[in-house]
Amino acid sequence: MIDMVLKSPLNDIHNELGAKFTEFAGFEMPIQFSSIKNEHLTVRKSVGLFDVSHMSNVWITGKDAEKLVSLTTVEDASKIGDGKSQYTAILREDGTVIDDTIFMHLGEKYMMIPNAGMSDEVTKWLNDKAEEYGLHATAEDVSKDYAIIAIQGPKSREILQKLTDTDLKTVGFFGCQYADIAGVNCIISHTGYTGELGFELQITPSKMAKDIFRKILKAGKEFNIEPIGLGARDTLRLEKCFILAGNEFEGGKTPLEALMSWTINWDHDFIGKDALLKQKEQGDYQRLTYMECIGKGIPRHDCKVQKDGKEVGVVTSGTISPCLNKGIAMAYVDPDYREKDTILEIIVRNKSVKAKVVKPPFVKKDWAQQN
Amino acid sequence: MSDEVRDDLKYTDTHEWLNLKGDTAIIGITDHAQTELTDIVFVELPEVGKEIKKGEELCVVESVKSVSEIYSPVSGKIVNVNEKLEDAPETVNEKPYDDGWLVELELKDKSEIDVLIDAESYKKSL
Repeated sequence: MIDMVLKSPLNDIHNELGAKFTEFAGFEMPIQFSSIKNEHLTVRKSVGLFDVSHMSNVWITGKDAEKLVSLTTVEDASKIGDGKSQYTAILREDGTVIDDTIFMHLGEKYMMIPNAGMSDEVTKWLNDKAEEYGLHATAEDVSKDYAIIAIQGPKSREILQKLTDTDLKTVGFFGCQYADIAGVNCIISHTGYTGELGFELQITPSKMAKDIFRKILKAGKEFNIEPIGLGARDTLRLEKCFILAGNEFEGGKTPLEALMSWTINWDHDFIGKDALLKQKEQGDYQRLTYMECIGKGIPRHDCKVQKDGKEVGVVTSGTISPCLNKGIAMAYVDPDYREKDTILEIIVRNKSVKAKVVKPPFVKKDWAQQN
Repeated sequence: MSDEVRDDLKYTDTHEWLNLKGDTAIIGITDHAQTELTDIVFVELPEVGKEIKKGEELCVVESVKSVSEIYSPVSGKIVNVNEKLEDAPETVNEKPYDDGWLVELELKDKSEIDVLIDAESYKKSL
């Protein structure tokens, strides 16, 4: 079999900008441009521009589109009005997460944004379930037709506003709509993965994205905008305790384990609901837990978590926080050991690093103002 | 921008430098290596007195996203480590050939230094 590595429609620009590349979910994407730390702080304090074209795009259409979304996600889609988007999860019958995703309600249709490399599986799942439940709805994978750009940071709105007549103040948090950006009709949403003010653009045909990317960089010059790679994207999301599917759902986790209960609308029927109700009743399961290192050392994926030498959990995501300059980690931990301020040990290369359980997020909203 | 290579040092093709001083060698990573690693945020140093064989793990250098083991280019006993790096790991980025040195090692087998390359050859390998 030929191992094909996909390239973003913006690959040429990344090369021009001196990116270092990495392979992620079958895509060659920039991991960094200047440095992860610098890019990270630029987004927190000012603004950064991301190419996230590795993410997937799936249109859901047909008269039962809303019903299909409700059936296959933990959200009741009838509650999400036209022009709104929602973060949610797609579950198997056993309650484990296939993928976490955002869907956007755009008129009669829904656009779903599954994770990188997940478009085939999600599209097939949706179509199979439509057939199984007799719904008149179709999912179509259009990932290859779209480029996705994210502009994130406190200055993002001001910069993007220069390139559009649409009043961006009217696009509320998690709002989505069509808008002309730099002369190209895109889907714009007030969403992101950094915890900062920001917008994401779904652009088709994808070749139009290069021009938009360049124009945003130019418009952002006065705020020292920078292109941002996947390295900083990961540290930015981790500081805000956002889930990375490949890490936090690895091995099959439910939204209860992943602390995504807040996304579940229990007043509707969805695939996986029975399993979740059962798990909820049992209550005795590991849950995602947030830890800040007291000792020196950087927790990484797969590091064991111990309490007095007894294994009580495992790290799914860990890094040094560029804002806090401390090791931070998300880990699945036994229910008895995850109360705030509990001191646990993370085993990094056979050495024990003391860490404290904290409330999310690691980096609070007003961090940039105070630093 | 090209990476700095100092004429008075010996090198390995895995981007370590050695400053040979009689029976001991001070070891660090090259300017090229620190550029590749970027933002060094943590350095785990060995204990003084530890005996290390050529090819064994000497120390660990971590950037935000990566963990890199540095393997010892020579055998010997650790006689000194750069403790300043515990609080200022970024010194490896800033001054890889000076204040950013990693360890000092007492050489066990001087013939091992014969396979090290000089500045000219190292430059060519970049």
